[in-house]
Amino acid sequence: MKKLLHKQTGLIFFPAFDWAISPTHPEREERLLYTRDQIFEEGIMDLPQIAEYTPSLAEIHDIARVHFCVPRVEDQITEAHLIAAGAAILLADKIVQGEIKNGFALVRPPGHHAMRVVHGNRGFCNINNEAIMVEYLRSRHALKRIAIIDTDVHHGDGTQDIFWHDPDVLFISFHQDGRTLYPGTGFTYELGGPRAYARTINIPLPPGTTDESLLYMVDNLILPILEDFKPEFIVNSAGQDNHYTDPLGSMRITAHGYARLTEKLRPDLAVLEGGYAIETALPYVNMAIILALAGLDYTGVREPDYWPGRFKETPGQKEQVRSIVEELLKRWEMREKVSPDPKNIVGNYYQRRKHIFYDTDYIEENQIEKLRLCDNCPGFLVIDSEANHGYGTAGSVLCISVPLAACSKCRTEAEDIYERSKKATEYRYIYLQDKSADIFYGYDSESRKEWRTEG
Amino acid sequence: MYVGVDVGGTYTDAVLLEKNKVRAIAKIPTREDLLSSILEAIDSILKDVDTKKIKRVVFSTTIITNLIAEHKYDDVDMLIIPGPGLNHDYYKLRPYIHILSGAVDYRGREIIRLNEQEIEAVLSEIAARGSKKIGVVGKFSPRNTSHEKRVAALINNKYPDWQVELGSRIGGQLNFPRRVETTYLTCATRRPYHLFLESVRQALAKREINADVFILKADGGTTPLVGSEELPVETIFSGPAASTLGVQALTPPGETSVVVDIGGTTTDLALILSGRPLLSSKGARVKEQLTQVRALAVKSVSVGGDSVLEPDGNKIIIRPERMGPAYCLGGPVPTPTDALRVLDLTSLGNKDKAVEAMTIIGNALGLGVKDAAREAVSQVVAVIAAEIEKMFLEWEQEPAYRVWEVLHKHKVRPRIVAGVGGGALGFITQIAEKLGCSPLIPKYAAVANAIGAAVAKPTMQVSLRADTEQGYYIIQEEGFQEKIRGKKFNEQNALELAKKSLIRRAAKYGLEVAPDEIEVTRMEVFNMIRDWHTGGRLFDVTVQTPRGIICRIGYEGDY
Repeated sequence: MKKLLHKQTGLIFFPAFDWAISPTHPEREERLLYTRDQIFEEGIMDLPQIAEYTPSLAEIHDIARVHFCVPRVEDQITEAHLIAAGAAILLADKIVQGEIKNGFALVRPPGHHAMRVVHGNRGFCNINNEAIMVEYLRSRHALKRIAIIDTDVHHGDGTQDIFWHDPDVLFISFHQDGRTLYPGTGFTYELGGPRAYARTINIPLPPGTTDESLLYMVDNLILPILEDFKPEFIVNSAGQDNHYTDPLGSMRITAHGYARLTEKLRPDLAVLEGGYAIETALPYVNMAIILALAGLDYTGVREPDYWPGRFKETPGQKEQVRSIVEELLKRWEMREKVSPDPKNIVGNYYQRRKHIFYDTDYIEENQIEKLRLCDNCPGFLVIDSEANHGYGTAGSVLCISVPLAACSKCRTEAEDIYERSKKATEYRYIYLQDKSADIFYGYDSESRKEWRTEG
Repeated sequence: MYVGVDVGGTYTDAVLLEKNKVRAIAKIPTREDLLSSILEAIDSILKDVDTKKIKRVVFSTTIITNLIAEHKYDDVDMLIIPGPGLNHDYYKLRPYIHILSGAVDYRGREIIRLNEQEIEAVLSEIAARGSKKIGVVGKFSPRNTSHEKRVAALINNKYPDWQVELGSRIGGQLNFPRRVETTYLTCATRRPYHLFLESVRQALAKREINADVFILKADGGTTPLVGSEELPVETIFSGPAASTLGVQALTPPGETSVVVDIGGTTTDLALILSGRPLLSSKGARVKEQLTQVRALAVKSVSVGGDSVLEPDGNKIIIRPERMGPAYCLGGPVPTPTDALRVLDLTSLGNKDKAVEAMTIIGNALGLGVKDAAREAVSQVVAVIAAEIEKMFLEWEQEPAYRVWEVLHKHKVRPRIVAGVGGGALGFITQIAEKLGCSPLIPKYAAVANAIGAAVAKPTMQVSLRADTEQGYYIIQEEGFQEKIRGKKFNEQNALELAKKSLIRRAAKYGLEVAPDEIEVTRMEVFNMIRDWHTGGRLFDVTVQTPRGIICRIGYEGDY
């Protein structure tokens, strides 16, 4: 019997050894194999500070609460996706209920490139595990203010898209500068929608950034912002491709750096994202993160080819990071004093046009996203999305999203738009995601069939 | 004819089986001298029996458990090679742990070299203290035995009379701290265990019993006497394994049952799922230490027939101690057995005394004698039933690492609660009722453990790990590392190699194994992709001789 003097760190290890995007893809069965070997050989699961759980499946309803999957949720996911999302939800539940002090969902497949509308796989992601877990928490546990810190080397554009207009979810992503790496976004001027200004913070870092500048940035930018925002729950989208051996990134972070990062952020729940140096990084970084979460000594964790002082930054790199930190701090401090750009306001709506590319599935999507500006609530979203699958356009879809805190006027207006659109022939599929009622509708205009999921 | 002997804490039981019928039974109080208890039991059942007719004898003994519990062994010096990772203080769980430089990674590649001067210095230190027992364990040694073997060679060179055990031979599964502990216990108990087995061998020879002799292991399989000396700790929790196999032999096949063995102070619970005893997924816990010993999933609850009953307010507390036998059998304090006696759920002991005992309890609680007895019984039943529920829940919650495994988790609930062991069988009916199961107290319940020992099958397993990128394979139980010959090495090759090794290993101990009856318990194949093409493959195969029992005990009709 493990002695429960203090609460434990919950762990779900789901390497999905029988699932892959394709046999030779970085997201393949082998990805977490050596991590498993390392964790098992170290006896991590036996440690009294660790509680291992088995994953359960998320429900279709949980996915529909966040995403508009075209045509339906079932078409865009496999069981592996439901298990990964389910693992995040399970641990989040246990943390909020006080059974464990924090947790790490070491799961595949990843999710942070999956946006609100999902026509296919992009950046190895189909559905966004963290977003699904966060919306579950807000719907089931009445949590309000949540912070998501995306530490993957790639900009978490999917998570950013989902919470762009949400003032209660603070999304902070640091990543290798988008001018040098997929997905090519995540610049400092991307700060969120008109009702959630500066609730999105992007920190592009120069290639070659080491632990030093990383931790400087955490100490001087992320921690002060978290102090101000006072989240009830902190999520870490924990990508491990900032590691100096990662084949897709050019950063110089070490396992120690990850441990220090985790120690400083003190996330309630970490969820694995990317990281494809499966032999040289993942076993060590994951060990370091687990030990840091559990409050155990990680100083003995060391990559075989690393020695202290191996990587040094140039003065130019250090300066670049410092000026980004300065700029963003200013933006954060001025956040209440900024008004939305009138160019984007059309009638009662704030409008954005987006062009989204799905690299894995070769889909090009065009979106017109409109936010209903309301003085009494965050307002609902109406998204016109058209996807070109390469073999021709699949037609347009209309996605209406009503937030948790919507006022009754907005709810009614959104419902009207939904009903009206069903009668027209403009859109192949029409969706109404009513988060305030926790009921999600979909309508196929060709077969004239409607479906819905409820809690 | 088969003989089964189970040495328990209180009694040593023996049975003589002919075909599938019980011919003779013996129950002797276990004395401090285990050997004499065993011999008395054997002599009792073999009275008037032609010893030439005995084909095999199986022992289940507590010798190792006792040795460890009473710390009747010399300390072992452990030379461990942990390398980077967890803080080394974490491994200092025994008095003489020496940390050596060196490291091997998860693929068995050397990361840090051994420092031979450092090793020589440590050896001198050990020699100066006069210790001669050494365990050598390296992290990831099952993937590369060379470091451990080099240290062993250095020891053999200078101190050829020292006893050296290698972690890679003893614990092939990935878990370094457990491997260290298992190696320690193996090294510590090997010599005393050998002496014990020698005396058993001699005693049997004197009685002209020339049958094959086996020892029961914690996982419910047997191993020939000689073979058991290799890994003495495998026999550590054979008692509960014996009871479980006994129930398997005394119940219809394919059933899901809970085996409840209520002893004096503890109740052992085991599960038989669809006719197969459930193995613990991790490894036995010995006192407070975790090991890699393969054992059945047995849970010990601190409640037994002789536990002390204490009134507390308007409740009864069951204390996990024993101050002597039940009050109705001459003991000092009221016990659950007294409660059973009052309610006529057992015929053990003096009823008047039992009533006296329950009166003491009743008065303190303001209850009548029968009510006090019922209260005591229902509490014992509640505790045991709750632990059984927990066991099933824990089994359902076992972590799964494949999509297929997560999807196919199913709820399993027992149909039968089978009671075995000594005198507290009166609880079984109510435990079964509480769980919605059928109670079963099989015929010969009192010696189910000896029957289990008698019908246990010899088991042996071999684990093979192959890395085609590095071009070698390891047979873990042999500590044998060899290059892979030829370019092609696929799943079929790995499996055949493993099976051949198993047959060879079994033959060494006089066991015949047919290739088609070999069970494959693990088959993992991973493609190693480097730069978008397959750089090699990793294979992890475990094969074993079939587990099971040699026969069911037949008795016409009544179950």
